[in-house]
Amino acid sequence: MHFEGTQQINAPITTVWRYINDPDKVAACAPGFKTMEILGPDHFKPTIAVGIGAVKATFTLDVRRIDVNEPTHAAMTARGNAAGSAVEMRATMDLAADSDSLTTMAWVADVNISGTIASVGARLMEGTAHKLTAKFFDCFRQNIEAPSAEEPSQAPAT
Amino acid sequence: MTTPAQTQIRGMGHSVKRKEDPRFLRGRGHYVDDIKLPGMLYMDIARSPYAHAKILNIDASKALALPGVLAVITGKDLDAAGLAWMPTLMSDKQMVLPVDRVVYQAQEVAAVIATDRYIAADAITLIDVEYEPLPPVVDPIKALEPDAPLVRPDREQKTNHIWHWEAGDAGKTDEAFNSAEVVVAQDLYIPRIHVSSIETCGCVASFDKVEGKLTVYMTTQAPHAIRTVFSLVSGIPEHKIRIISPDIGGGFGGKVPVYPGYVIASVASIQTGLPIKWIEDRSENLQADSFARDYHIHAELAAKRDGTMQALRVKTIADHGAFDAAANPSKFPAGLFSVITGSYALDAAHVEVDGVYTNKPSGGVAYRCSFRVTEAVHTIERMVDTLAQQLHMDPADIRMKNFIPPDAFPYKSATGWEYDSGNYPAALQKAMDKVGYAELRREQAEKRARGELMGIGISTFTEIVGAGPSNTFDILGIKMFDSAEIRVHPTGSAIVRIGVQTQGQGHETTFAQIVAEELGLPVENIAVEHGDTDTAPYGLGTYASRSTPTAGAATAVAARKIRDKAKKLAAHLLEASEDDIEWSDYKFQVKGVPSRSVTMQQVAFAAYTNHPQGMEAGLEAVDYYDPPNLTFPFGAYICVVDIDRGTGEVKIRRFVAIDDCGNVINPMIVEGQIHGGLTMGMAPALLEAITYDENGNIQQGNLMEYLLPTAMETPVWETDRTVTPSPHHPFGAKGVGESATVGAPPAIANAVVDALSHLGVTHLDIPITPWKVYAILQEHGATEV
Repeated sequence: MHFEGTQQINAPITTVWRYINDPDKVAACAPGFKTMEILGPDHFKPTIAVGIGAVKATFTLDVRRIDVNEPTHAAMTARGNAAGSAVEMRATMDLAADSDSLTTMAWVADVNISGTIASVGARLMEGTAHKLTAKFFDCFRQNIEAPSAEEPSQAPAT
Repeated sequence: MTTPAQTQIRGMGHSVKRKEDPRFLRGRGHYVDDIKLPGMLYMDIARSPYAHAKILNIDASKALALPGVLAVITGKDLDAAGLAWMPTLMSDKQMVLPVDRVVYQAQEVAAVIATDRYIAADAITLIDVEYEPLPPVVDPIKALEPDAPLVRPDREQKTNHIWHWEAGDAGKTDEAFNSAEVVVAQDLYIPRIHVSSIETCGCVASFDKVEGKLTVYMTTQAPHAIRTVFSLVSGIPEHKIRIISPDIGGGFGGKVPVYPGYVIASVASIQTGLPIKWIEDRSENLQADSFARDYHIHAELAAKRDGTMQALRVKTIADHGAFDAAANPSKFPAGLFSVITGSYALDAAHVEVDGVYTNKPSGGVAYRCSFRVTEAVHTIERMVDTLAQQLHMDPADIRMKNFIPPDAFPYKSATGWEYDSGNYPAALQKAMDKVGYAELRREQAEKRARGELMGIGISTFTEIVGAGPSNTFDILGIKMFDSAEIRVHPTGSAIVRIGVQTQGQGHETTFAQIVAEELGLPVENIAVEHGDTDTAPYGLGTYASRSTPTAGAATAVAARKIRDKAKKLAAHLLEASEDDIEWSDYKFQVKGVPSRSVTMQQVAFAAYTNHPQGMEAGLEAVDYYDPPNLTFPFGAYICVVDIDRGTGEVKIRRFVAIDDCGNVINPMIVEGQIHGGLTMGMAPALLEAITYDENGNIQQGNLMEYLLPTAMETPVWETDRTVTPSPHHPFGAKGVGESATVGAPPAIANAVVDALSHLGVTHLDIPITPWKVYAILQEHGATEV
């Protein structure tokens, strides 16, 4: 599955960059986020629960940040397993300063899902993935734009 | 005219109510999952999410820590016992559990043994498997490209090509094509489908450590063959293995192969000394058990301008998945696909098939089709229509013109089969009369003028069943005879044990009718037993519509052996010479003196109480029947469809099925077989197909996506028959279980193409879904708003 999108965030590019480099803040917006193990500055192991139709699975992901070019570009790869299912993802994010207080974020993600989730939930997968992605970026933007960046709102678990 | 004796005996030709139904209708059937043994443990299987991956590590520690989990079995454990691989019925080998790589999605990776089914299911989610994904190949045509990922590096031959097989005369065929006035060509894809029996696969394996005997209750269509394979693979002497196939909730070919779960459960039972139950869930069954069809066919038909068909040339790529685990007779890797010349007199034919590995579960199951006959029949029946369309001929006329004439039987086909008997024009004429063919064509023309879409499709198929004669047919070297053993008890009731195994065909009734007919004993006094290798005589099992042609024949021959001995006893009782005794109206009588007669009951009693000096006591016989030829049932089906221009939905308005399976044992059971078969033939024509995405994810892993037919989609089937007995079968029967599944899909496809032919449509691959039709209607501006 291929996803891409852009959104404008009412914040300076440096604020946005700081945000996306804080794994806890990123994770806080991940739908179904449960726990996170930080293995290094660019290596994380979050646990995320997702449900597609009747199939629920908890994925343990291995996330690595690669190809970082402050403050405009970052890429990451993630691979994870759940019982009978597996996911692989590669995502890039590009930031551009539209003004001192407005940043455009463009992102692209390629996701491969295998196993039970893909075969049993095939029909619902694309729609669910779009919904979860939209939710993630929406939460992300809201948190950055929130008056107190220290108290981010939580994305509802799914 | 029925005599009182016939009414009492109810042998051949009676619609005897099925003896097995009282237990099924009352919920008292006894299936594998009904078996509960003391101390029984439960197994569940962890499966691969990837279609192709290396296994780097399996960590079972968390699963083993779960209370109630006794063991986790991996490929490495089996490898230590030499059981990580097992032979398939097609001389390939297949992983039981993988040691270091998986080759299709949902492949078995590790098994959990636990005290409870639910604990076992929880435990498999705790097994941590580290994979390194590899690129999969799911398209057999891409699999043949030189840089394609290699599915089976364990083989010496480092390609995905399994075998090449051909039949017929290539030179003669090419010659006919070179000089042909008309040639039509068509690509056809017969998609992968799944048998989806109501009962999934499973077993209870129980090893008795004191006796050293392994008993396996198993959902299998071929218990004896399984016993022999188990013995050869495990080294356990064959008399210490007992395979019991209890009531089976549908087989359809899907329960012929040996699945890894059977082997793992048996190993676990041997190690623990406790019974192990393994039952698949629905999605496991749909995703991992062997599949049917999946043939990519290119066909060409050569003809004269007047519609006389001359030659057929066919090239096929067969997708067998990751293991060649089909259940074809050993010498027939493409089954009986070469029956593809069908009901038509052709001068020449040449058929080629190449088997290919892909990262999918095993293919090639003969789904209610005697070994690739469905693919063959679909091809020829579509090609005949393609030719008719090209020549602007009526599809009924072109068939009548090209049928093998009734006086040409036995008929040697261009690919070498000897058809035993047939009368194709009679069957088609009967179907045309019943459906009102000429009137329907008039109606179609009127409707077409108004823009309404209606189509009439014909299929005049020839089946090839009853495998098979031992000079050509074997499975792993075991000849495909079948057997029956009959014992008549002193009071005149009897038990019949047969080497075939019922999965709903009604053997307990029909085999009793054969014996009733031959011995003159009332059908209710004859018990039929099957499916237990400790008691039943050796046989190759039930599939390919082979039970009546093989074991049915054995039953009649065994009964006739008994009747021969009974005649001697009758002579003794009637104090007459054996030469003066005749069998008439189900009893022995002195020739010309009906008043001096004895019944089989009286004879049976004498066999134990009053047999002549020098004669062996008792009344029993065994027969192992080696059929001299296959049998060739046939039929003529006509389907009338209306197409909804708003939705693209194909609605079957009428379906007339004339079947000829030779002499009929039980007309009601035959009709039931035809009804079920037609529904199972409609399903792949309109609904069912298994597809995979580029990563090897199955797209129909549940019954929401895989559309089984229900009563909602099933039309009223109008059935009738003609009777052309098989000349070589002891009572002239041919077998019927699969005719309708084989014959129905092209009738439906031909009807839809016929409905759309004026738009320039010449072919549609099955399944013909509403979306497919709607897209065509849209393209031609023929939709209804």
